[in-house]
Order: sequence, then structure tokens, then C-alpha cells
Amino acid sequence: MNEEKKSSGTRLRVLVADENPRRGRALSETLHADASLDVLTVPPDKALIDAVRDYGPDVVLVDLDRADRDALDSIRALSCSALERPVALFVDEDDVDLMETAFDTGVCSYNVLEALPRDVKPLLRAAIALYARFRRTRDELTEAQIALAERRLIEQAKRSFMKNEKANEAQAYRWLQRRAMQTSRRIAVVAEEYLAAQKKDEAS
Amino acid sequence: MNAPLRIGVLKLADSAPVIMAQQKRIFARHGLETEIVVSPSWANIADGLAWNRLDAAVIFAPLAMMTALGHRGHGAELRPLARISRGGNTIMLRGINPASGVWQAGSRGRNAFDIWRNAIGRKPRIAIVHMYSTHLLILRRFLKMIDVDMENEVTLSVMPPADMIHALAENAIDGGCVGPPWGTEAEQLGLAFQVGGSATVLPGHLEKVLVASGKLLACEQKVSRMSLAVQEALSFCQKPTHREEITQALAAPVADGGLLLPPASTRTILPGGEARECVTFSDGNLLPSDLDWIISDMTALGWIGEVEQQMLKRWSGPIPAASSPV
Repeated sequence: MNEEKKSSGTRLRVLVADENPRRGRALSETLHADASLDVLTVPPDKALIDAVRDYGPDVVLVDLDRADRDALDSIRALSCSALERPVALFVDEDDVDLMETAFDTGVCSYNVLEALPRDVKPLLRAAIALYARFRRTRDELTEAQIALAERRLIEQAKRSFMKNEKANEAQAYRWLQRRAMQTSRRIAVVAEEYLAAQKKDEAS
Repeated sequence: MNAPLRIGVLKLADSAPVIMAQQKRIFARHGLETEIVVSPSWANIADGLAWNRLDAAVIFAPLAMMTALGHRGHGAELRPLARISRGGNTIMLRGINPASGVWQAGSRGRNAFDIWRNAIGRKPRIAIVHMYSTHLLILRRFLKMIDVDMENEVTLSVMPPADMIHALAENAIDGGCVGPPWGTEAEQLGLAFQVGGSATVLPGHLEKVLVASGKLLACEQKVSRMSLAVQEALSFCQKPTHREEITQALAAPVADGGLLLPPASTRTILPGGEARECVTFSDGNLLPSDLDWIISDMTALGWIGEVEQQMLKRWSGPIPAASSPV
């Protein structure tokens, strides 16, 4: 409580603009842990620029997949912008790695230029770490889906081979395996080819 | 070491040469391994070029110039490799056109604007896709042509082209200046009428260029291969006989190498199409006259100064030798 009161004069308003609601929630929760931050999120269906106008944040963390980032990008040049405080992309020339990693993981940060000067790098770093974790989970998920799909193909090819060649399961698998070795390809690729050839035969 | 060259594009019909070069393996035939990155925003394209996430991009010249000059916060070594397109932008308004067809210059256009503004009953809200766009320059010239002051008589906003369709339908905006095929799409959906555009304001003006980042520019062989591949793709795309094939390619889902563009409007704005405002894919060197009007308008808007003007004038002419300064 005391801590919060003490820092209330320098509280930083952070707006999280993420199209992925789960990731946006996770990032907000992470940032909430810092008592000196007021964390706000852009509701779905609200344009980024409208949220910036309505909430008046000091810092905006933006998901690069948002197409409406162009509006924020243009504020400085928009002479008739309804926004009173100019906003600019946060750029750290001394830490090119940080910036490249941020763009690579799909997040960037905007500063309101007239806000109190304060290091926003920790915020950006927190966002990068979270985005990287989400990406890893997504990649793992995709890999698991691919593995599952491949297993299905192999099973299907085995069944088809057993029927066509009056073979048992072990023989069918050995045939696929041998063919994969002979042609230096993965067993799933051989299975897919076998099924495609069967389909073609059926069609003709 | 041999990662594919990443080329950024947006979902617009004037990305066609790069899409076709990829799909018809023109890049591959020229010995280039390439990957097309379909970006959701122009800011992503500019940041991608500035922070080494893209090796090249199809982009409008003003944004490429402002990015190269460091006006977005981080300077980037950029040079145009090729001109991609001329024209194709449309100025669309919602409601009923008080004139027939596009608006005339001078008092007749002004008169049409006044009747239209009274009908919509508020200070018109006009959208563009990015502040540093040819669309803003074309819109500004159009409004000047009909004696309307852009600074005071309209409110500008920035939004992605596909969002403009929704915004027009919901009366959130009253018009926009937008690239192909989105203006024609709005017209075909009955959401807006066309009052002007590239052909009315500045026929054959430079629209998109293919810009290369410093990393790509450092490799002379790749630069020359890419230039040759793009010239070949430009000639392919300019042939009216290829219109249907290009329409289908652009309408395909992004996962299949397309841009998911609406086929009916795309078909009408490609070379040989029947739209008032067609895009022209234009090969050959970037000419001083391609850039002069852009540099002069950017100066008038206070975006660039004298020294920067001189730097940008060096963007025309043959493809630069490797590692020449911006």
C-alpha cells in the first residue's frame, strides 16, 4: 500500500495492444506485478489510435500483427490529428539487438514524447520474453500436429497396403520402411506417395 | 548464410509482379531463393527494412524515402531496385455523387464538393493508408485542384485499405484515397463513388517501387539478378492476355502464395481491364521525372529539407553499384 502511494506520482500508464487476447492477458498480468504501472488493454473492435486517444497512455506495447499500427505510425506527421501528445516508435540505437529481437518476436513499443522520461526497455524486454514463450508454444503445437498427421498417413498407407497385398501389419510397415531407406526419404512421404498412387489407380 | 531473400508486400494488386515472379519461378530461374512476406501494415514493411527483417519490399516511394532518411527513428540504407507501377489510386466518397463521374477542376469541382458535404452534414472524414504515402500526395493535389484546403476542410485519418470498406459501410469515414483494387471494390459493393484518382490528378505518376535494404545492396550479383527477374515479371504482368492468370494468383489464399484479393474488382483494374483507373506495370529505369513531383510535394509539406532533397534525387537512374551511399 505504502509503496503504491509513494510511487503514485510517477506511475506509468502502459497500454497493451495485442490481437491475441490470451497473450495480451498474460502480458498484462506480468506487467501488473510492477506496482508502479497502470496497465490498460485495447478492447477488441477498438482501433488502436482511438484507444491511445481515449486512455492517454505513456507507453504503448503493440503486437506487430495489428494492421492499424499505421495510424499510430502517422501521428507525428498528421497535422490535424486529434491527439494532443505526439507518439513515436521507441527506437534504441545503442541496442540494435534488442530492437531486432523485438521485431523478430512480433512486438514493438511506442512512447508518448511528452511523458516523463523513464526507461521503457524493461517493459519491452518483458513483452519480448512473453512473445517468445508464446511463439515456442505455438511452434511446439504445430510440430505435434505435424507428427500426428504423419502418423495418420502411415497408418492409412499400412491399411491400404495390407488390403492390396494381402499382407499383415508388420509386413506393410517393413515395406514402407524399406522403400523410405532406398529412396532416402521420410517414411511419411513414402506413405503419402503410396496413397496418392492408389487414389490415381482408383480414378483411372 | 544462404537464407532466402525476404520480400515484403501488402495485400494490393500492385504487388502482382513480385507475386507472379515467385509463383512462376522467375526469381528461381534467375538463381534467387526468395520468400514473400505478406505484411499487415506499412509500418511493418518500413520497420522490416530498417531492422534487417526484410531484404526488399514493394512500397510507395515517400515512405521508402522517409525510412531511408531516418524519419521513422532509425536510418536505413535503402535504394530502389526497380519501378513497379504507375497510377492505380482512387479517391472514393460515400453517398450520392452530385456530379456525373469524376469531378472537374476548379469551381465545378468545388461546387460538387459543397453539395456533397452538405448532404453528409459534417466536416468530411477522409482516410488514407499511411501518412507518408503517394495517396496523401494525390489526395492533396486533388483537393487543391477543386479549391479545397486539405488542412482545414477535411479531417484525415489513417487505416488499412480493407478496413476502409467497413468504415465506409458504417459511415465512420466519408471517403478515402486508396490503392488497387480496394477503391473499385468499394464501388462494386455500392459503398462509394469515384471522384478522382491517379489518372485525374497526375496520369502515369510513379506509385510503387521495389526497394532493397543495405544487406541486399551489398551483394552486387543478387541485386542484378533481382533487377532482371523483376523486369521480366513486370513485362509479364503488363500483358492484358495474362490478366486472368494474375487475377487468380492474387485471389489465392496467402498460404498458397496469393494475397486473397477480391477477384472481380482485381480483374477490372489490371492492365487491359475496363476500370477508369487501371494500374500500369512499368519496366525500365526510375526516371528523374518519376521522383521530382514526390520530392517537391514532400518539401512543400515540410517533411524534408534542402540536403535531403539532393540525397533523394540520386534515387533515379540505373541500379546503383554495391554499397553506394544513400
